[in-house]
Amino acid sequence: MKKFNLMFLAAASMAALAACSSGDEEASGGSGSEGSADVDEITAWAWDPAFNIAALENAKEAYNGDGDYEVNIIENAQDDIIQKLNTGLSSGTTNGMPNIVLIEDYRAQSFLQAYPDAFHPLTDVINAEDFADYKIATTSFEDEQYGLPFDSGVAALYVRTDYLEEAGYSVEDVTDITWQEYIEIGKDVKEATGKNMLTLDPNDLAQVRMMIQTNGSWYVEEDGSTPNIAGNETLEKGFETYKELMDADIAKIVSDWSQFVGAFNSGDVASVPTGNWITPSVKQAADQSGNWAVVPMPRLDMEGAVNASNLGGSSWYVLNVDGKEQAADFLLNTFGSNPDLYQTLVEDIGALGTYSPAAEGDAYAVEDEFFGGQQLLSDLSTWTDEIPAVNYGLHTYAIEDILVTGMQDYLNGAELDTVLENVQGQAEAQLK
Amino acid sequence: MSQLGTKKAEVDLPVRTKYEESRRQKTGVFFKKKVGWLFVIVSVIAITIFNFYPMVQAFLLSFQSGMGANLEYVGLDNWRRLFGDPTFIAALTNTTIYLLIQVPLMIILALFFSVLLNDPKLKFKSFFRIAIFLPCVTSLVAYSVVFKYLFGIDGIVNQFLLNFGFISETVNFLADPFWAKVVIILAITWRWTGYNMIFYLAALQNVDKSIYEAARIDGASSFQQFFQITVPMLKPIILFTSITSTIGTLQIFDEIVNITNGGPGNATISISQYIYNLSFEYSPDFGYASTVSYVIVILVVILSIIQFRVAGEKK
Repeated sequence: MKKFNLMFLAAASMAALAACSSGDEEASGGSGSEGSADVDEITAWAWDPAFNIAALENAKEAYNGDGDYEVNIIENAQDDIIQKLNTGLSSGTTNGMPNIVLIEDYRAQSFLQAYPDAFHPLTDVINAEDFADYKIATTSFEDEQYGLPFDSGVAALYVRTDYLEEAGYSVEDVTDITWQEYIEIGKDVKEATGKNMLTLDPNDLAQVRMMIQTNGSWYVEEDGSTPNIAGNETLEKGFETYKELMDADIAKIVSDWSQFVGAFNSGDVASVPTGNWITPSVKQAADQSGNWAVVPMPRLDMEGAVNASNLGGSSWYVLNVDGKEQAADFLLNTFGSNPDLYQTLVEDIGALGTYSPAAEGDAYAVEDEFFGGQQLLSDLSTWTDEIPAVNYGLHTYAIEDILVTGMQDYLNGAELDTVLENVQGQAEAQLK
Repeated sequence: MSQLGTKKAEVDLPVRTKYEESRRQKTGVFFKKKVGWLFVIVSVIAITIFNFYPMVQAFLLSFQSGMGANLEYVGLDNWRRLFGDPTFIAALTNTTIYLLIQVPLMIILALFFSVLLNDPKLKFKSFFRIAIFLPCVTSLVAYSVVFKYLFGIDGIVNQFLLNFGFISETVNFLADPFWAKVVIILAITWRWTGYNMIFYLAALQNVDKSIYEAARIDGASSFQQFFQITVPMLKPIILFTSITSTIGTLQIFDEIVNITNGGPGNATISISQYIYNLSFEYSPDFGYASTVSYVIVILVVILSIIQFRVAGEKK
């Protein structure tokens, strides 16, 4: 009796479980087999309500295709999106996955390569030539275009014109300069005003990343996975320049984002070399209106380096789940082909896209009083087109974490060659 | 249980025949066992599915490697990779340092506070108890952020030290490999001391007052009372708290991520943060990440055995 009862219980619970799981299988099986299912609702994930979520809302209004479906916009923190995509895609279930998702460019290749069938190619949907060159390298994989390039991460040097004047410099003096010239100016500015030239966070090598892209180099080689550290002359130059910045005593050391923003909002630093997405934060300090100008990013003092670089930026991807046709249709008829949408994006939220035809619109020519009447957006999109294209590859953040330790050693006096060889060895061991 | 049943049967139904009684007893036992199983089986199944099954899967996963969904079996490669991985070794060293310094420090502090607060002559006892326990109800992330700003370069700790002339210029605590670790240890100790203190306070209520009375009559000093009576009486609780604290510290994650994010360099990175980085921050390698997770499992088992041996009751 007893045994029978137990077995019955066990059997019953197994049956219940089996029922659950087989139900799941049917559901997911259905989504895989039917190619063009009729879906009347698609979901899109992004992370910033003031920026990319707002852009999606604008896109929804601007949609001019003839699809009949609802677009459901969901805000998730970027870290959450990465986690959900990773856990969802690696477990092979598409339940709860969005149709459209925004992915940061530095991470794109690792997603595309880690989950080969999870993304729906947009090669035949969008015209890649309409977008800034450098974005295409990071959003495509094995001859297929997967991402629809979204915001430009074009880097720029934001400068305080009043501090420069005090030190006897004009905006022209900081335009199209090298980092070495920048350091000299920084010393003079510090002497004249007592203000530091910039902020540096020793735990974040964003500056080095921007420096090396001015010369078309990256942490990995063209193939996107072989670490390119030891013997990489551009990276060596970047490290040396970073150390010069530190040694010149013109940098305020910060350790997080709020200290970084606080430093320029309170007028503690004379310049901010970073991505153009910082514009809204710079403008927060309304009392500094008219005291700022934006010039091209300083370049490394090397043959072939240009005064244009990138920091961050992201692109839209369509997941290979039910509703992918609708998702592709939505993207095509909004971000993919609608210059007017980009005008509203610029006017309403200050989001600078990488869709080249949009740059001819009126909104891009607006003079910005905060920056002394500069045609900021049109300048930024000109520089966007000059950014050297590099393949960010798979391991930007993994290698950077190793490089950060190497940078500490280097700043503390270790030999640069040895440091970079160590990093190369570690990276090779870790990224097999 | 069955004894109770027998007794009850005897009291309630004294006139039953022996046969009837024994039959009733048997079904009673059987019925109770069955009901017992019914209660247990739900959690047994739940634990099997949500705990043991994932543990086995994670163990299998620890022998695989590859990006995202492209996993393949690599035998012992992950385990070999562990020993040559400087980041893992840094994470392990840091975690061990936290463990060796923070757990004893916290246990001693908690014992100290609980004995002070157990003093019957103490006024405002519940105020102090609440004050020390309160950190424990704050959110991990919230208190970490507060600590980060306290010790920031423009933070109140720097202001304080400057104003009182202890330092001549601000110290960037979180950018210094040594001080960053100190801040982490201070933070965890602040957060968890009250939690452990509550266990000791509860245990102290069960210590017979007459033992202390007798000790006092025999002329034992407060120190002797503490070391000869309080500590031995609390031994099982000390063992329990040191094991839970050890496990907690081995898994430390929130504080590190929010206060220093592992930096400067890898100076404060913990094993759990490295697992997170391997899975979500870098190109996902869940195989290697679960190998690192199993290191924590092995460490917990070994450390618990040691603690049982050293402090446990000899049976």
